[in-house]
Amino acid sequence: MATLGEKTVITAITSYKEDNLETTKEIFESSARLRFLQDEVSELSIELIARFQPVATDLRYIKSCMEMSYGFSRFGRYAYDIINVLEILGPLKLCDKSSIIHMSEIVLEMMNTSVSALRSLDNTMSKKIYELEDVVDILYKKGVRESIEFMNQDNLYPDNRCNISSALILKYLERISDHACYIADSVNYIVTGVTSPRR
Amino acid sequence: MFNILKSSNNKKPDTESSPSLVSKDNSSISYNNNESKLSISSLQAWFGSKLALKNIDIDFKRNCVTALIGPSGCGKTTLLRCINRMHEMTPNASVKGRVILDDFDIYDKSSDPVIIKRRMGMVFQKPNPFPTMSIFDNVASGLKLNGIKKKSLIKDIVQESLEGAGLWEEVKNDLDRPGISLSGGQQQRLCIARALAMQPEILLMDEPTSALDPLASSKIEELITDLKKNLTVIIVTHNMQQAARVSDYTAFMYLGELVEFGRTSQIFKNPVKELTERYISGKFG
Repeated sequence: MATLGEKTVITAITSYKEDNLETTKEIFESSARLRFLQDEVSELSIELIARFQPVATDLRYIKSCMEMSYGFSRFGRYAYDIINVLEILGPLKLCDKSSIIHMSEIVLEMMNTSVSALRSLDNTMSKKIYELEDVVDILYKKGVRESIEFMNQDNLYPDNRCNISSALILKYLERISDHACYIADSVNYIVTGVTSPRR
Repeated sequence: MFNILKSSNNKKPDTESSPSLVSKDNSSISYNNNESKLSISSLQAWFGSKLALKNIDIDFKRNCVTALIGPSGCGKTTLLRCINRMHEMTPNASVKGRVILDDFDIYDKSSDPVIIKRRMGMVFQKPNPFPTMSIFDNVASGLKLNGIKKKSLIKDIVQESLEGAGLWEEVKNDLDRPGISLSGGQQQRLCIARALAMQPEILLMDEPTSALDPLASSKIEELITDLKKNLTVIIVTHNMQQAARVSDYTAFMYLGELVEFGRTSQIFKNPVKELTERYISGKFG
């Protein structure tokens, strides 16, 4: 799920950058597959709890898997939402995509780090993810404000579709970064048993 | 509950009519309101020269269930038997350390083991009703042995004890039946009723459900949760899920030592010691 979730978001961002709608079907199928896998993880978790009554690290691991699988399925969902923006508002060739591309690079790094943290059960990576999330939050607020400002100026921007699409995709990227943080929280919980306060 | 032999947990005894709670004379009665009902410090127990308990320090909280867990031979049952002074009845066995019940050391020279046992009921692994006695007499036996003769009073206590053990509705019309004619689960509840009749303050349970089927075990577990309203319960169990379900605190023992003690939720979610984690996860033992 981690690999598929990451790949799906990368595909959606690349498609947005290149104004390419040919990947829509692939992203939709990946998103649906992630949702299906999330249900499978839930079912498996319930079965493991019922049959083996795990405790301590095992129990925390299973609980975290349920939460992380939700996070990965959300990666797929937001990837699908991003390509949907392109489908509904595109083509967006003339739009300035630099702020979204900049933010997406940070978000992809967060996703990649959270998946690495999960693979190695290394909770020390959380710090980096949380620091990047602060940057994403700042970029998100700045980007949304700019979109509104541009909309208020008569046709300074090529098309209001650029501003709307920017605001939406910034929001989806911001949500993806939140889920990367939740995955880091889960890794931390597995390792230490301490739950992180919701940011 | 009736005030026949002593007071209930949290009330001062009617010293006019009750015998001493711990000692042979009445000089040592005292109470405290601490959360701890039983406090053990530096407890060591031997079988001959073999050290079975190594400097155990533990507090059992009032009106709480504490589970003692650990692999066979780790000292759980020995600890239980030290608490009610049964250990010293084993040939060549000896004990050193302090076991403070409320604020009286039960190993103090002035303490009377008989009275100590009266304050602490014990339920064993295998149900052991007196085979020749009826259901009624099984429950009433301790009262009669302690000189209570008033029939109406005995009858009331028997009913209350059977109710307390969750057995009354099932046997109220068959009190003259032999105790051993009951099912295994009912027999164990009869033994609990027998212990309750003495109105103990602490109930010691040594693997009380290990010989019972799941339904009977479930009834005993529900009962334990109910009993802690009036009692402090200490239960030895090899069933991790049972410990997790019924206890408020869990103590993990290994090779005669207390490895970890804490709230059950902490022990089963996030144990501090690696050894505890490995044991409760079924990775050794």
